[in-house]
Amino acid sequence: MRTSTPSFSNLIKHPLATIITLLVISLVLLSLPPNISGCIKMTCSAPMRPFQWATCFCSNKASAFFDNVISALHDAQEKRHLEKQVLQIKNKLVEQQDTIYKLQNKLRTLSKFQTENTAVKKSPILADVIGYDSSNFRKSITINAGSKQGVKPNDIVVSDNALVGKITTVSKRHSIVQLVTDPAARIPGRIVRTREQVIVEGNATAFCKLKYTPRWAKLKKGDDIVTSDIGGLYPPSLPIATVVENETKSGALFQSVKVLPRVNISKVESVLVITQ
Amino acid sequence: MRWFPFFCILFSISLFQSTLMYWITLGSAAPDLYFPFVVFYSFLTDIKRNTLANWLTGMSKDVFSEGSFGINSVFFVAIGFFVWSFREILFRGHLVTQILITFIFSVIYNIAYTIHQEIFFYSLSLSATLWMIFCCSLYTAMIVPVLFWILKKFQPTQKLFFIKDN
Repeated sequence: MRTSTPSFSNLIKHPLATIITLLVISLVLLSLPPNISGCIKMTCSAPMRPFQWATCFCSNKASAFFDNVISALHDAQEKRHLEKQVLQIKNKLVEQQDTIYKLQNKLRTLSKFQTENTAVKKSPILADVIGYDSSNFRKSITINAGSKQGVKPNDIVVSDNALVGKITTVSKRHSIVQLVTDPAARIPGRIVRTREQVIVEGNATAFCKLKYTPRWAKLKKGDDIVTSDIGGLYPPSLPIATVVENETKSGALFQSVKVLPRVNISKVESVLVITQ
Repeated sequence: MRWFPFFCILFSISLFQSTLMYWITLGSAAPDLYFPFVVFYSFLTDIKRNTLANWLTGMSKDVFSEGSFGINSVFFVAIGFFVWSFREILFRGHLVTQILITFIFSVIYNIAYTIHQEIFFYSLSLSATLWMIFCCSLYTAMIVPVLFWILKKFQPTQKLFFIKDN
């Protein structure tokens, strides 16, 4: 009696073999290092980018049109403009307040003037937001600036003088920005008023939380949090978020603090990439 | 199953999900447009095509999402398989069944996804995440009538009631 060995094409026709093959491919992709998987993602999504840009462009234009119609009715355009200015001034005030605190500390401890060496010369790159994360539990945006414009991984992204996030993946013309609200985001920060050091951590909602805030830190609603120069990745004194609520649970080592990022990502159309 | 409409719909969903979601986001709840797609093909096609369609949908979501590349394809294939395996006992042509199945499996998928995330990042708060899962799943289930109506326009719908596995 003659038996024939099943060929690969016959094997792949079997449903179980199809499932196993596809799962193995997925598991292999899962086990790849982030830089390689990021590279594959950027390559796969590259043909989609012009469509994303066009859709975002049309969406922004449509949004602007509706906004203008409503503003004409309610005279809200001027209000929004003023609010934006106030926000920028507030952010600048926070930055300056932080600088004043720093200078006061230096005067107290050293009793002589030191030149502030925090102002590292950086050239910003203007980029438009062309896409958002497709997952509800991850927070990232795609911008239309890449390695060709000089963007590198770990570059800082800001908008309205406040931190938006950092670059994680770069292709030739596009980059992915991990937002401050992403669950993987950990930003060393400092509370401006109390000078406590904290870690700002995203949790996939519109808010972030503060990690390692000491129990004795007297926080108030509206306290500002800026970047600290620890770690060297983020420039110091860049506004990140504002305290919304804090709670000290009995038995807990640290306070539970909820903060609201300074930048409303859903309303941001363009950002600045600060290259080192 | 027609593959050309499948890729066109997948392309449109990816484009919408990655660019225009802010138009239909309610608070922190945003629908997952990929998920009704998974349920639809699990209801409609045989196991092999269903697996391939769900895998491609998962990969498409992975490409436009930050994080592990391939995780959504694994979850979508698994969920597609489960839905396919007991679809014969369901009134899958009925709208209520479609909404309920989408909601239940969306909750399961979101829980599995957040557990995977929590293993790596330890940053999600339980109450907020559960509430978000509920809202997102409910919103996803609520858009099922519209999405299924669109999907039925491009795929043969009579097979929803009498499916014979090839």
